[in-house]
Amino acid sequence: MRTLLVSILLAPLLHAGMRAPLTPAERTNGTETLSLVEPLGTQTAAVTACIVNKDGKQQTTATWVGDDGYLLTKASDAPRLEDCRVRWAEGMEAMIREIRRDPVHDLVLAQAVGVTGVTAVEFESAPAPTYGQWLVAPAKGGKEFRIGVLSAQRRRIPGMGAAIGVRMDERSADGKGVRIIGIAEDSPAAAAGLRANDVMLELAGEQLSEYKRVHEIISKRQPGEEIEVRFRRDGKENRVQVRLASRTKILQNWDGEDFANGGISVRTDNFPQVLQHDLPLGTRDMGGPLVDLQGRALGINISRVDRVTTFALPADVFWPTVRSWIETDRHPPKALRP
Amino acid sequence: MRPPIHSTLHLIIPALVVWAASTLAEPVAPTPAKMALADLLKVQATVQMTLGKVRPAVVAIQTGDGTASGVIIAEDGLILTAAHVAEKPGRELRVVLEDGKMAKAITLGLDRTTDAALMQLKDTERKWPFVIVSREVVKAEPGQWCFALGHPGGFDNARGVVLRVGRIVKQTANSLQTDCVLMGGDSGGPLFNMAGEVIGIHSQIWEGRDENMHVSMAPFLRSWEDMKSSRVIRVWGTGSGGFLGVATGLGETGRLEVLEVIGGSPAQQAGLKTGDVITALNGEVMTDQPQFTNGVRARAAGDVIKLRVLSGSTEREVDVKLGTKPKEEEG
Repeated sequence: MRTLLVSILLAPLLHAGMRAPLTPAERTNGTETLSLVEPLGTQTAAVTACIVNKDGKQQTTATWVGDDGYLLTKASDAPRLEDCRVRWAEGMEAMIREIRRDPVHDLVLAQAVGVTGVTAVEFESAPAPTYGQWLVAPAKGGKEFRIGVLSAQRRRIPGMGAAIGVRMDERSADGKGVRIIGIAEDSPAAAAGLRANDVMLELAGEQLSEYKRVHEIISKRQPGEEIEVRFRRDGKENRVQVRLASRTKILQNWDGEDFANGGISVRTDNFPQVLQHDLPLGTRDMGGPLVDLQGRALGINISRVDRVTTFALPADVFWPTVRSWIETDRHPPKALRP
Repeated sequence: MRPPIHSTLHLIIPALVVWAASTLAEPVAPTPAKMALADLLKVQATVQMTLGKVRPAVVAIQTGDGTASGVIIAEDGLILTAAHVAEKPGRELRVVLEDGKMAKAITLGLDRTTDAALMQLKDTERKWPFVIVSREVVKAEPGQWCFALGHPGGFDNARGVVLRVGRIVKQTANSLQTDCVLMGGDSGGPLFNMAGEVIGIHSQIWEGRDENMHVSMAPFLRSWEDMKSSRVIRVWGTGSGGFLGVATGLGETGRLEVLEVIGGSPAQQAGLKTGDVITALNGEVMTDQPQFTNGVRARAAGDVIKLRVLSGSTEREVDVKLGTKPKEEEG
């Protein structure tokens, strides 16, 4: 009865002959539309796994790159990989052995311990997608998937350095430390629990007396790195680990104006080449594969940048290196005996 | 106080409160036909074929303190954009073409209520790349595939114009809602149908990913000559329901401001003045113009509405009894 009443009240607002709004299911990433490419959902789920932390919370998505358990994921969002576990399919779970980090591409190669017979993705002959082409990628660790299009030109994304997202008082606080006067929304400083009026006393082990020094210390580091901050609040001293993020995105999203829905990745720049697409993915979906409508893998999703932008690394920029790392790891050189 | 952290001020207006009407029950009306995979592939083929033709007509607009988008719709350089980009007639703004070349344009007329505006490139001798405007406004209906182009975050030569493909979610008298995701810098950019005709101009976003609002072609077509003559269009928030007698629009601070008050109207009798900010209607927080107009329209003549009004720094509540719309204020 109640629903009917609402419909009657609304009816005069609708113009005669106008079609009803689309239901969520009918939209581009609604269940009805996605059902058209359902086989691809199953296919991408098979090569996808989920990296969870000690509390069972998903950190990133992983892509199987060897049927003997080799996997790739986004490095800067999986800082302590060996404390995490990998989950896949129905109820499968394993410990992780980290093999090598690739800071250029923000990838980390690892292996699920004691695992064989997973479905590895095929990056060997990845085709180059064209502007406006439909693409598919897993979401929520492979439980769901999304579609979208290649939305801009393939290109290099220059690095603009790291930041923690604080605005500082240019005068030193009582000659000792630097006072925080503002914190950026969704920034590393906000995530670490820092607040306005906290006084930073030490950064990466160095005593602070000038705000400019904070910029100098941070500018030498990369997004994804952790840095220790010792600070004073209400007369008490404390320490926190702050994970640095890309400077450009902190500045552009200072007040959360990007409406990114689910946040943006810690590292959003400094990539040698990216494919840009408009799939509505979240930060935890990074590390999963990007495939075309024929199910061919094109690369790995590497950064959720803003409301309209996700970057993927094209397979040709990272795969030759990663493949050689896997081969080396599978066949370690034998020690030479005299 | 906020430091100058932006190199660019983004001109899509974010609105945090979801439009109440869109969250209520879906009305009974025909639903679009079921799709097949072939439809998706057809959309892809059409978009890829059309893109090359329409891209050169999409421009970035530098407004001085921000960046936005627009689209050239005539060979002599007439541009469609959003009213909150143009702000007022007679401003000279710089326009960036697809290849990065700069040109100058002058803002013409605009309609703040619907967020429609026209601009003219100064060099009218040159043959500018242009696209066609769809004149069949009603055909842009829910379920239709469409694509959005624009310069989110500003012009980036290495990136190029950014494409989003999606469906029309909702159609109203003056606007379209799509699931082509927009953000700051897209404002004023074009929404195309599958024939490559302009059916919308990017206007504002709500928080949800599927809540992207575009001005439809209706306000442009209705006020074409007036807008070309650099007039500022006023559409009174009356409709078929009760009559209040104010023209409202989003002010520079992104708040809902009273732009004009009709003499002798219920609004004037209640003491509303130009420049007042309307913050709530019957307790519901007001963040944009369509939300307010619909709130007034939904009520009948004789109903009393409670407005929370900010004049300068003083906030007050006023009760206004809605009247009947005078004939001469039609439209």
